[in-house]
Amino acid sequence: MTESVSEPVATSGPPRMPVTVDVNGVSVSRQVEPRSMLVDFLREDLGLTGTKVSCELQVCGVCTVLVDGRPVSSCTFLTADADGAAVTTVEGLSDGQTLHPLQESFVDNFALQCGFCTPGFLMMSKALLDGDEVPDREAIVEHLEGNICRCTGYEPIVEAVEHVAQELRGGAHG
Amino acid sequence: MTLPPFALVRPTTLEEALRELTEDSVPYCGGTELLLAMRAGLHRPDALVDLKRIPELTGVRVDDGVLVIGAAERHADLAAHPLLLERLPVFARMEKHIGNARVRSQGSIGGNLCFAEPKSDVATLLMALEASVTLVSPGGRRTVTVEEFVVGPYYAEKEPDEILVDIRIPLRAGLRGAYVKFQTMERPTVGVAVLADDAAGWYRLGVGAVGEVPLAWSFGSLEEIDPDDIASRVDPTPDLAGSEEYKRHVTAVYVRRALAKLEQVSS
Ligand SMILES: Cc1cc2nc3c(=O)[nH]c(=O)nc-3n(C[C@H](O)[C@H](O)[C@H](O)COP(=O)(O)OP(=O)(O)OC[C@H]3O[C@@H](n4cnc5c(N)ncnc54)[C@H](O)[C@@H]3O)c2cc1C
Ligand code: FES
Ligand code: FES
Repeated sequence: MTESVSEPVATSGPPRMPVTVDVNGVSVSRQVEPRSMLVDFLREDLGLTGTKVSCELQVCGVCTVLVDGRPVSSCTFLTADADGAAVTTVEGLSDGQTLHPLQESFVDNFALQCGFCTPGFLMMSKALLDGDEVPDREAIVEHLEGNICRCTGYEPIVEAVEHVAQELRGGAHG
Repeated sequence: MTLPPFALVRPTTLEEALRELTEDSVPYCGGTELLLAMRAGLHRPDALVDLKRIPELTGVRVDDGVLVIGAAERHADLAAHPLLLERLPVFARMEKHIGNARVRSQGSIGGNLCFAEPKSDVATLLMALEASVTLVSPGGRRTVTVEEFVVGPYYAEKEPDEILVDIRIPLRAGLRGAYVKFQTMERPTVGVAVLADDAAGWYRLGVGAVGEVPLAWSFGSLEEIDPDDIASRVDPTPDLAGSEEYKRHVTAVYVRRALAKLEQVSS
């Protein structure tokens, strides 16, 4: 951000509030405007552009991130509400060396075409698989209903998640 | 899209929250409706008064035969709440199917009622259950039925200085309940609640989402509920989900399905 000499930042501009958020395991402290949306904070302030933004109406799911393990639409979530919380984005799935089993499975099952919806589907699926019960196909479909894939890759996406669920169950594929 | 600027205040007591509410500052909970309305330019409050840190607005408990749900409770938590699963499973099942998982982890039950979205599942089932809400203002506390509260599309009978504190559902020992809905988009086209307390001869039907507000009726027996008659009593709003005629048709179909589902529910 550029600061112009004629507009001193100390006396102009909207007030800011301090937030400390654990993003993918790293504690980040910043001053944000109350109106700062989590998706903008992640993409613009932190440069984590894996999280996408599209509808801004909570209907497409591309902006899904986990806040304390729960899936939220970061397009409609105030950064201030993430103060003190742990946020996981798609960048936090892999440790930089090995892919997360869901990422592996998405690749193996051709569950991505253009890939725009992929971060949202991955995060939504992670929230589901992190729950108490290993979901069956019906539960997977139901849970992913709120995410849109413009390339209509739904079947392979559901299959990719189902494969990881089967692995979690300890059973063989199929 | 960036929202117009506003201040965010975070009271930790109800008294403090009430003091913060003015003409230009509004209650804020999950923001799933409010932030969208602000983005659409329908609202431009100077300040949002966050209700999430007020203990009186949280928790679920049974108080003298009445199930009391804090207004700030979120849908996902209600869907999984042990007390609801045990005492009013039909309510937990309804909560499990609201919108999508993200809306459920962010949106509150109180926000749903205060926004009075015409396609609310919550209001339909609550009306059928003869539930009421507690509202608190600097002038005092009042209890009104959900039917008196949700009076129009996007219009709840609430003063700007009032906060919805909790929702109260009278419990019935032998209650059986079914809630079914037809949904192809984010919100339902029609939602139907059927409730039966056979021992008390108490039967209720609620139909929502087709019209401007949910409607609920009492009956003396389940046989008295005639799906075609109900379809003629609703006042459907033609919209993207369908024409008036179509909505009357799905209403009759879903009343039939709700009655069939109720037969399979023991309590
Ligand atoms: C994509 C999508 C799909 C949805 N699908 C469904 C569905 O299938 N079924 C259904 O029933 N609902 C559905 N909803 C509605 C959803 O349930 C509500 O958006 C949510 O519950 C609102 O809660 P909130 O805490 O986010 O409210 P907010 O957005 O924070 O507030 C909403 C309004 O209520 C006021 N308010 C909030 N809490 C209080 C309080 N305690 N006292 C006084 N005023 C208050 C605010 O000032 C604001 O005007 C859907 C919403 C979305 C966005
Ligand atoms: S961009 Fe957030 S849900 Fe579509
Ligand atoms: S892979 Fe292209 S939008 Fe889903």
